[in-house]
Amino acid sequence: MSNFESLATRAVEATPPALSKAVRGLSDKTIAWVFIAPTIILLLAINIFPLIWTIYLSFTNYAANRPNRPITNVGLKWYRDILGSPEVWAAMQATAHFVFWTILFQTLIGFGLAYLIDRKFRGHAFWTTIILIPMMLSPAVVGNFWKFLYQPQIGLFNYAVSFFTGIDPSSFEMLGSVKLAPWAIVIVDTWMWTPYVMLICLAGLRSIPGYIYEAAEVDRASKWRQFWSITLPMALPFIMLAVLFRGIENFKMFDMVVLLTGGGPGSTTELASITLKRQAFEAYRTGYSSAFAIILFVAVFGLANIYVRTLNRVKQR
Amino acid sequence: MAEVSIKNISKRFKSVMAVSSLSLDIADGEFVVLLGPTGAGKTTTLRLVAGLEKPDEGEITIGGQGMAGLAPSARDVAFVFQQYSLYPHLSVFDNLAFPLRSPARRIPENEVKERVNQVAELLRIPHKLANRSTQLSGGEMQRVAIGRALVRQPSIYLMDEPLSSLDAKLRADLRLELKRIQEELGATILYVTHDQIEAMTMANRIGVINEGSLIQLGSPRDIYENPQSIYVAQRLGQPQINLLPAGLLPSGKLPAGTQTIGARTEHFDIQKKPNGEASVDWIEHLGDQNRLHVNLGERRITTLIAPDSNLKSGDRVALKLVRPLCFSASGERLG
Repeated sequence: MSNFESLATRAVEATPPALSKAVRGLSDKTIAWVFIAPTIILLLAINIFPLIWTIYLSFTNYAANRPNRPITNVGLKWYRDILGSPEVWAAMQATAHFVFWTILFQTLIGFGLAYLIDRKFRGHAFWTTIILIPMMLSPAVVGNFWKFLYQPQIGLFNYAVSFFTGIDPSSFEMLGSVKLAPWAIVIVDTWMWTPYVMLICLAGLRSIPGYIYEAAEVDRASKWRQFWSITLPMALPFIMLAVLFRGIENFKMFDMVVLLTGGGPGSTTELASITLKRQAFEAYRTGYSSAFAIILFVAVFGLANIYVRTLNRVKQR
Repeated sequence: MAEVSIKNISKRFKSVMAVSSLSLDIADGEFVVLLGPTGAGKTTTLRLVAGLEKPDEGEITIGGQGMAGLAPSARDVAFVFQQYSLYPHLSVFDNLAFPLRSPARRIPENEVKERVNQVAELLRIPHKLANRSTQLSGGEMQRVAIGRALVRQPSIYLMDEPLSSLDAKLRADLRLELKRIQEELGATILYVTHDQIEAMTMANRIGVINEGSLIQLGSPRDIYENPQSIYVAQRLGQPQINLLPAGLLPSGKLPAGTQTIGARTEHFDIQKKPNGEASVDWIEHLGDQNRLHVNLGERRITTLIAPDSNLKSGDRVALKLVRPLCFSASGERLG
């Protein structure tokens, strides 16, 4: 018994007395607010306020280069103009082409690479790092050096194509041709971001426990069947997540494409974000571009929302 | 069903000898349990039979057929893993049907349905067939995992601690069911566990494993009553066998060379005596039985007593041993 007593006494002595309210001064709730306030203020200042301001401007004739002009309410005029504008629809088509093909290629190649790397062969860590390099570069750097790679006279890309197909390297211009330019930007983006998709897919594949494959093997499932009934369904949420990230990113793609083609030739690679920038900061149609920005935002936000819901359904299976 | 024979198999993982020249024959329809602590090589033995690992030496035959070099899918075995290895995106029905739908088997769909329903009936989960496998409780998941083995009707069922991740009550229920199913089907089962109750209640024969070697093989009763070494004696019986130096307690005539005496509850004769050499330290009341902890000098002896015994903490008692188990200095059983 004395043992227990001394233990209890020691425990009591070792416990510091509770801090009195006066010492703490602030209540838990106040402290919580103090900690999150800076984030909330920053968010309000640089995210929420501009968003609301943009919504307001989208109903006015405001132009940033003529700040002294009286602001008048134009109602839904800009929205009607935008949805009826062939220029905007061309930009949307270019964007859709870019987003669709980059996602398709990146998912297929990225998942394929992840599947190969997952086999844990000798030096797989080294190869993973090598594959990840493009993703670590700045889009500005990538845009600039692919411009050189695509050079018809000195470009390595044209040379490589000619080496494998025998076509004269200066007979085609990846960035200068109306037909090829939309594919040129797809190739660069795929080159740059496939590693990212691979990384997420790899995480998905690594999350599948090995004993499930062993169980399947004992159950006489062929490698083919194991892939379709275990690997793919179990990695699917990860693949979908990668598609979501890449989809949102590429919907607002700007920097790399501006550096590569500047939207040309003509406006074949003029993505929605490039059109938006031109309207806002070259034509200074601030009201119009605000409305355009809101339309793009609602489109991405809506699509992403529907997608996330599907993703959650898949995950719950 | 078929008999399985394991001859002198060895398996080494880098510097660890997981299984060393282990031999075991399992008769058709027999339930053999490999019992041993974690890392004793039980699971490796099972995986060797399944073909999930390749033996470094020795051979395995199933139904008289050599298994060397055959992939798991080519051996007619079913494996139940310790983790619920269900296919998470499939329904319970599809999980159970998975092995039957292998293109290698080509079983018509109506027969698949029939067999899945039969097994579901056997495991008492027919109302769960439409559920997603992730919507099941632990016990149900493991039933499905066992069911996935049962639909196959293979030569041998290999089970790797299938009940260890369940709670005590479910474990007791499934233990009984598994034994019932095994007897109904006449299934040959090689079962691995570290739980002595599972081994005692289900096995036709128990093989006690230590450091990759089979130390003793026999019926549960035989292993319990006639352990050939201290190691085996310690594996069975609750509370664990008391090991005492020879001569500490009056015990009648002992075989020559006895160094250690092993005494379970049935080997003690305990009398309340005011000048007894031992004192009762503590009594644990477990309801149907009481656990008695006795201090004998420096040593502590744990045994069972009847709940109606009038002993209480602090009482002096005299201990006598009745035909205890005797072991030599090296831990071998004597006489």
